[in-house]
Amino acid sequence: MSVKECNGEVIISLRNVTKSFQGRRVINDASLDVKCGETFIIMGCSGSGKSTLLRHMTGAIRPEKGSIFIKGKDIANIPLKDLDEVKKTFGMSFQYSALLDSLTVEENVALPLREHTKLADEIIDIIIKMKLSLVGLRGFEEYYPSQISGGMRKRVGLARAIALDPDIVFYDEPTSGLDPVVGGITDKLIKDLSSKLMITSVVVSHDMHSVFKIADRIAMIHKGAIVEIGTPDEIKNSQNLLVQQFINGNPEGPIDLFKEPE
Amino acid sequence: MITYIGKFIIEYAGWAKGLLKLFGEILYWIFIGPFKGKTAQRLNVFQQMMFVGLASVVIVVFVDFFTGVVLAMQSAYVLEKMGAELYVASLVSVSLCRELGPVLTGLVIAGRVGSAIAAELGTMKVTEQIEALETMAINPVRFLATPRFLALLVMLPALTILGDLAGIFGGFLIGTKSLGINPDLYIQISFKYLELKDIFTGLLKAGVFGIIIALVACYEGLNTRGGAEGVGRATTRSVVLSFILIIAADCVVTAFFFFF
Repeated sequence: MSVKECNGEVIISLRNVTKSFQGRRVINDASLDVKCGETFIIMGCSGSGKSTLLRHMTGAIRPEKGSIFIKGKDIANIPLKDLDEVKKTFGMSFQYSALLDSLTVEENVALPLREHTKLADEIIDIIIKMKLSLVGLRGFEEYYPSQISGGMRKRVGLARAIALDPDIVFYDEPTSGLDPVVGGITDKLIKDLSSKLMITSVVVSHDMHSVFKIADRIAMIHKGAIVEIGTPDEIKNSQNLLVQQFINGNPEGPIDLFKEPE
Repeated sequence: MITYIGKFIIEYAGWAKGLLKLFGEILYWIFIGPFKGKTAQRLNVFQQMMFVGLASVVIVVFVDFFTGVVLAMQSAYVLEKMGAELYVASLVSVSLCRELGPVLTGLVIAGRVGSAIAAELGTMKVTEQIEALETMAINPVRFLATPRFLALLVMLPALTILGDLAGIFGGFLIGTKSLGINPDLYIQISFKYLELKDIFTGLLKAGVFGIIIALVACYEGLNTRGGAEGVGRATTRSVVLSFILIIAADCVVTAFFFFF
């Protein structure tokens, strides 16, 4: 595993990204920059558009307007063929792990290696063992996803995401549905990956405990628009009522779920 | 009423377009993909062949065997009146090879394999597995649809041959045991009027049915929306639409060989 060169330059940049589904605006003029090596958190209520924003960064959704630069390439406007090349430089850990049911743990982690590299099987075996021990799952190689717990599946998903030694890893709710201990281990893992291997992490989460533990910077998104970006301290001391209501989990405030849509 | 018909036509025109697009992509991965270093994994294709072919042998042989038996009995009922029960043999063999073998095999496989493919891919779609593949820059059509397409294209004609033989054997049992035809004579008459062309027509049909089942099942699976209900709908649609298309294609191919 090589440690990447990283001098804090911007690695992901969103410029005025806008997206609607069936006439409803889901992402509204969102712009943000993620610097190399940092752990960047996108937080917001359910349905605020944070997962959709993440899917824009992975190229799963294309915006109507705006640009998304990943390592200088505008993935919102390049041909699909070139998009695949960009995709090989990042990994993604899905909310429900999204492992292939028909493959074992080992085969799941090996999949990107077998598909995108010409490495010999022995070397792939070694890499799999390394990645699985990184997430604490040595000895589960032969199990199928249906035979292990949800938390373990999530960690296998993470091992798969880092199989190709990516520059960037995207996490969709990495700690949701996990017990506090496994959640803590996952947080530490994300932190370690970025500090030791200089992997840039973009994390979508609404687990405030984990957010303040791992974040270098935080963006708060509400109704598809980015309302505030800052370090954990800046966010904690923010004057924005939306942000204060969200981090304190206050039922009263400007975020009103019961308000009728206009 | 007119708006309803219009909606119906637009919906199925879009569906047919999607199906053809999928067909084009699969052909790309079969013929052009290998030159670009990317194609279906051989292991995957073999796994699918085992599932489509080997695991379906029993049911295909069962269905065709009893169809042969019934066909022999029903035709004997008429032919006996004309004193031509000897020709039960050729009637059974020709109608099985030209028509019933491929059609019945196609319908059985659409029910057994097509539904399984649609359900599997549909579940993968709603549990983000397809999106995960795309995020890993692995094309789902190459990785999932192409092996299934190849397996069905190869295995359906192979199963049809087995089914034809089973059906002819069923007819043979009725002909020799019940109608008292000499076994040697029965076999001779069976193949006297059966030309190689008849068998090839049947196998061509089976190949076409294989393509239809693979395309419909993969398309429905990959375009599943909305959770468990969506998977159920995709599965049902794949079976029903495969049945309709198989019968329609059978008519077209038969007409083609009848008139030309």
